[in-house]
Amino acid sequence: MPSLLRRTARGFSLPAFLAYLAVILLVALVPLVTRKPLILHMWIMVFLAIAQGAAWNVIGGYAGQYSVGHAAYFGIGAYTTMMLLELHQIAPWYGIGLAIANAVLLSVVIGSITFRLRGPYFVLASIAMAEIIRLATLHFKDFTRGAEGILLNGIPPLETPWFTVDFVGKRPFFYASLGLAVLVISVNWFVQHTKLGYYFQAIREDQDAAHSLGINLTLHKNLALGISAAFTAWAGGLFALYVRFIDPNIVFGIDVSVQVVLICIIGGIGTILGPVVGSVVLVLLAESLRNPKWLVQTGLASSDSSTIAFIEAHLSNAHVLFYGILVVAVVLFAPDGLLGLLRTGVARLKKQRAAEPRPAA
Amino acid sequence: MTVFLQSLLSGILVGGIYALIGIGLTIIFGVMRVINFAHGDLLMMGMYLTWLIFTYLGLDPYASLVLSAPILFLWGALLQKVFINRVLGALPQNQILLTIGLGLIMSNSMMLLFTSDYRILTTSYSSSSINLLGLSISQPLLYSFLVTAGITAALFWFLQTTDTGQAIRATAQDRDAAQLMGINVRRMSVLAFGLGTALAGTAGALLAPTYYIFPQVGGSFTLKAFVVVVLGGMGSIVGATLGGVLIGVTESLGAVYVASGLKELVVYVLFLLILLFRPAGLLGKSKA
Amino acid sequence: MTMLASRILSLAAAVALALPGAARAAPIKVGFINSITGPQAPIGETMTNGLELAIEDLKKKGLDLQVIRQDDTGKPDKAISAIEQLATGDEVSVVVGPYTSACAAAVAKQTELYQVAQVIPAASKEDLTRQGYKWVFRVNAPGNVYAKSLIDAALSFGKPKTVAFIYESTDFGSSLSKVGKEYAIQKGLTVVADEGYQSGSPDYRSTLTKVKAVNPDLVFMVSYVADAILLMRQSRELGLKPQAFLGGGAGFDTDKFEKEAEISTNVFSVTQWTPDSSAAAEEFSKRYTARFGKRPTYHAACTYTAMIAAGEAAAKGGGDRVKTRDALASMTWTGIMGTTRFGAYDGYTNQNLVLMPVTQYQGGKGVTVFPASLAKGNKAVYPFPGWK
Repeated sequence: MPSLLRRTARGFSLPAFLAYLAVILLVALVPLVTRKPLILHMWIMVFLAIAQGAAWNVIGGYAGQYSVGHAAYFGIGAYTTMMLLELHQIAPWYGIGLAIANAVLLSVVIGSITFRLRGPYFVLASIAMAEIIRLATLHFKDFTRGAEGILLNGIPPLETPWFTVDFVGKRPFFYASLGLAVLVISVNWFVQHTKLGYYFQAIREDQDAAHSLGINLTLHKNLALGISAAFTAWAGGLFALYVRFIDPNIVFGIDVSVQVVLICIIGGIGTILGPVVGSVVLVLLAESLRNPKWLVQTGLASSDSSTIAFIEAHLSNAHVLFYGILVVAVVLFAPDGLLGLLRTGVARLKKQRAAEPRPAA
Repeated sequence: MTVFLQSLLSGILVGGIYALIGIGLTIIFGVMRVINFAHGDLLMMGMYLTWLIFTYLGLDPYASLVLSAPILFLWGALLQKVFINRVLGALPQNQILLTIGLGLIMSNSMMLLFTSDYRILTTSYSSSSINLLGLSISQPLLYSFLVTAGITAALFWFLQTTDTGQAIRATAQDRDAAQLMGINVRRMSVLAFGLGTALAGTAGALLAPTYYIFPQVGGSFTLKAFVVVVLGGMGSIVGATLGGVLIGVTESLGAVYVASGLKELVVYVLFLLILLFRPAGLLGKSKA
Repeated sequence: MTMLASRILSLAAAVALALPGAARAAPIKVGFINSITGPQAPIGETMTNGLELAIEDLKKKGLDLQVIRQDDTGKPDKAISAIEQLATGDEVSVVVGPYTSACAAAVAKQTELYQVAQVIPAASKEDLTRQGYKWVFRVNAPGNVYAKSLIDAALSFGKPKTVAFIYESTDFGSSLSKVGKEYAIQKGLTVVADEGYQSGSPDYRSTLTKVKAVNPDLVFMVSYVADAILLMRQSRELGLKPQAFLGGGAGFDTDKFEKEAEISTNVFSVTQWTPDSSAAAEEFSKRYTARFGKRPTYHAACTYTAMIAAGEAAAKGGGDRVKTRDALASMTWTGIMGTTRFGAYDGYTNQNLVLMPVTQYQGGKGVTVFPASLAKGNKAVYPFPGWK
């Protein structure tokens, strides 16, 4: 343990840490400032997206295994939590724990099958695994209720010796999802700066070289997937409790898997901030195109803005089209994600400035 | 016994269409090593084109292939030149993302143009069948199967004997070596994507008389096409043909002997088994 | 380019002109959540059409409401965004929608919380109005009524002994057939096949072959829009010939299915509404067909009715949410769906009681054949005479 701490200290910088802390605290104050549920809802959606994106980043970004089947873990998290709560009256704070355990177990099974494959074969196998689980959940209705889904009636209050949390309204979910997002981002930080993470990254760069250096490929790929699956399932459990209704297509659908990958790639894959940037951009952009009026609530636009009226009148049917255009534009013009674009932009500016002859003082 | 033979027969006939979708994808993958997630959307474009020609020109879906296939070839070539070409050397996840994005653009543009309502194309033979020894053979499926067989044979001949065909195959085997041999690799990529698109569109046209058409129809076919291609071995045309028929039969028998709701699941399990025990596919050459 | 520019300019001008007027009048706001994009968009479209006609009719009565639309893309988390925008941003008096049961369930939790009335036009999940909700109203009959009407109809025409179920693995398909199976057994029928399928496959022949092999008296199918046509086409190919084909609404109740006379003839369907049920319904159907170029489905009729009810209640409540809710609970409407009134029965609350007519397609046209009170002497063809 002390050796681990020493090692983590390597990438640690106090000012950056304090800056992160300040941002988190600032965000945590949001529910005290605004009571508008829609704004809190958008934050919750962003936090859950960050948690999912950052969780995927561990296996996809750092270990370089592009799973397009993370819906399997998201769904197993959602289903375990909901089935325990709704069918067996087990409170969700235990339920999510079991959900995480389930997801890790599942990741071992999926990993033992898919990690034998590489490149596009791995991608396709991961999709196939998620689809198998979705189809099985739909078919075995006696166990899962199939396509009818699970409707949540209520969440029991969480009683601790100090306080009681009632899961009514947005606030508890705001803090739960914020906490999860911060936790997964921290995990990303550890992955980037510890020996374990270096192993992951070595596997990403060159599997065979990593193997010849004595890195146990199977063990480390499975570790990365296990960590990723655990947090994805956690996010899935929270999502289910928050939305209060799930069915197999909502939580196991392939669009869940694709969305997570999009978040990371659009933000910047294999970076700590990438999933954060990707989530903010994708979730908020999708929402602004679907419902431009929410910008009025945030105070970002005035209620008589003609742009908003224009979007509403002409583009509300086309919001997915714009989403597609954004994806294509990012791949073509910012292949390293928005964060990468920012970085190269800054680097270019610096270079330019260095190259320019300094004006005489 | 009748049940078995009947489902086997339908499986083989439907498998013909799966094969055609798979062949298009396998050519694209073989030449460019790009997994095309927009393949089902290309098929969807083919369906709409067939529907338009049928509705406004009154041309039979099978006859309309002479019009729709060249148009789709050009469309595919254009997509390759403008978009896919730029990511040929990029990371695989970016290629996947690009094709996902292109698929979203295609399906949602079609939705804006044609609304999301279903289109049904009814021909005189849409629900006709031929009775043979107590088995019913679906007429539209039989026609489709024959067209598929013809196209596959023609394609095979084209790739084996013509200079262009051989150049495409050489590019698929080794891009760099092909370039050194003086083959215009870029041109081959454009040709391959055009060809792949035309084949996907043809499959769409063949499905049109029995299926229905809506902007999101592509999704399930994209996944199926992947399975077909991997089963047969990526890049192998004969493999994709076999893979398509195998999947058609697996689905059909799976529905009868496992459960209707699990027939796709059976296919995915088969897919994983083949990946694990014959990772190069049934007819693919394993790569060192 | 210039055309686009001028369009944008004129639009901006229109917006600029419209806004001060809107601010003065402060109209009553009604929210509408619907699947405009996503997999359910084809049905969403017919619902939007129904809504348009309702808005026109309300306007004719002097009720100029501001209808604010939200797309839920068929996903419950998006539906939650939508209701939050409507309930807390736009502060609407009442909400109509959403379509799918999943979205309606998610929204219902929120409307209860924000205390704004919700009128569900066409979601079939029984639970929606069985939770004791105070703010959730439903126009359409819940899923179990579909199955009961169809089986009752078949039993009144003949003496079937066995029944096979083929249904899409969706909430609608599986809950409908679940109730159907229970009711069939209760009525002394034997269930000989139970086949849930995944939509999106071009081939259901193997499933149908399996069903044909057990030779059922009744084939009960539940499927969305286009699979209904696919299933019947392939049944014809294979020569499946039960005493009756029973179609559980949805895909079996569309103008597209109706028009395919070759395969639709003699098929029974159950519906929330038929154009021939009253003079008002017939008039609505004519208007709808003239305007949108196709026959209205029950989704359109239910949405129309829901919007009329919500609009009139909101007007009566004068924009006050509690008064609007009370108005919905106490008012009665007579219109294209006969009498609409939200009451409590059989464990349901705020549920409109709909007598679901069973229709049979005869020569490319749906004819009401059951119950006798609605059939007006129309005769059902039973048993199925075979394929042409």
